[in-house]
Amino acid sequence: MPLKVLAVDDSKTIRMIVKKAFKSYDCELFEGENGVEGLAIAVRENPDLIILDITMPVMSGIEMLEKLKNEPKLKDIPVIMLTAESGKENVMQIVKMGVKDYIVKPFKGEQLIERTQNVIKLKPKKTKKISDDTLNKYFSADGDIQYLALPENVPVAVIAAIEGHLGPKIKEMSGSGKNKLILDLGKIAKTNMPLIKLIILIIENCQQSGVQLQVVGSSSISNELKEFQETSEIPVFQTTEEAKAAF
Amino acid sequence: MSLINDLDLKEFTDNSVNNVFNTMLSMELKQFEADSQVEVGDSRIVGSVSFAGKAVGTIRIHITTDFAKIITCAMLDMELDEVEDEEITDVIGELSNMVGGNLKSRFCDSGLTCAISIPSITKGSNFKIESMDWERCEYFGFRYQEYTALVEVVLKQGK
Repeated sequence: MPLKVLAVDDSKTIRMIVKKAFKSYDCELFEGENGVEGLAIAVRENPDLIILDITMPVMSGIEMLEKLKNEPKLKDIPVIMLTAESGKENVMQIVKMGVKDYIVKPFKGEQLIERTQNVIKLKPKKTKKISDDTLNKYFSADGDIQYLALPENVPVAVIAAIEGHLGPKIKEMSGSGKNKLILDLGKIAKTNMPLIKLIILIIENCQQSGVQLQVVGSSSISNELKEFQETSEIPVFQTTEEAKAAF
Repeated sequence: MSLINDLDLKEFTDNSVNNVFNTMLSMELKQFEADSQVEVGDSRIVGSVSFAGKAVGTIRIHITTDFAKIITCAMLDMELDEVEDEEITDVIGELSNMVGGNLKSRFCDSGLTCAISIPSITKGSNFKIESMDWERCEYFGFRYQEYTALVEVVLKQGK
């Protein structure tokens, strides 16, 4: 049975970020735009976790939380509050309200998952066949060096499949001592935001697992990567031979 | 001496804007000296959040429609041609909420307890917003590539 997660926020943007954060996990996500909708969904679905914004029209997160805590069937559902306000007074108020945790906006999806894991046990979604095919198609090995070669056009579905496999793959590399990865962007003509986020995710995963990473790509890709804080420092080699020599 | 005049609005705003843009969009903005005459662009979207309490005022983030689209794509992992007006409005509203919420927290920590409104959005071309009778009325410019964002903060002491 997938876990039920209820996200209550008046901003569709935040609900989309929450949805994206949970997409790799075995969860069913429900959405409410305000406290009234959130309460109605909570009564109907009895979720395993509620992610609740504070400032909302119609009924605020604080009012919704008070009503939850007064309802015997709902009072034990863990709640993580989202707030744009990190002031001491606001934080004290949230803590006193008996929530499991709170996250100050801005936040990254990974932070939300990390906090959620402290409250409920998330299980990764079972991998689909398409993802296995994707993995075989783009990952390859040459001696102790692993390659991840991205195609000319990287559809969002492929990015999502690679993202899903990335963590276990890099951990497997690290565990087996094959801790060198070449990310080959040589075929890519132009980046877009999902691709940049995938590259950043690869860099972060490699850093966390102690895997050495070298990147291959054109000079225009190199210039585009310099625009982003997380990728600005990474050298981009023109050929795989240069990248191999850099290990 | 009013507490409002002691606030380091430049530092508060720079930290808030960069924290939000870095975390949510992986964009690093560079601040520059600005005033009300800074040219943002004709077709504009302005996200506003108001403060009420011991500090009364508003923060407005002025950006061009083109920049707003790029921000929306980055936030929602979308392509430029997929983005719709409703999504742009929501994203700019949420960014304003985050920047405003961060500023509000700094005001509260400085003894100026206040609440913030939900964000509102103004869109149009060739319009001007006049800010009058405030103790502080300051403008902070930010650049990302060829795009400009103008952040306007107006404040006065409340009760």
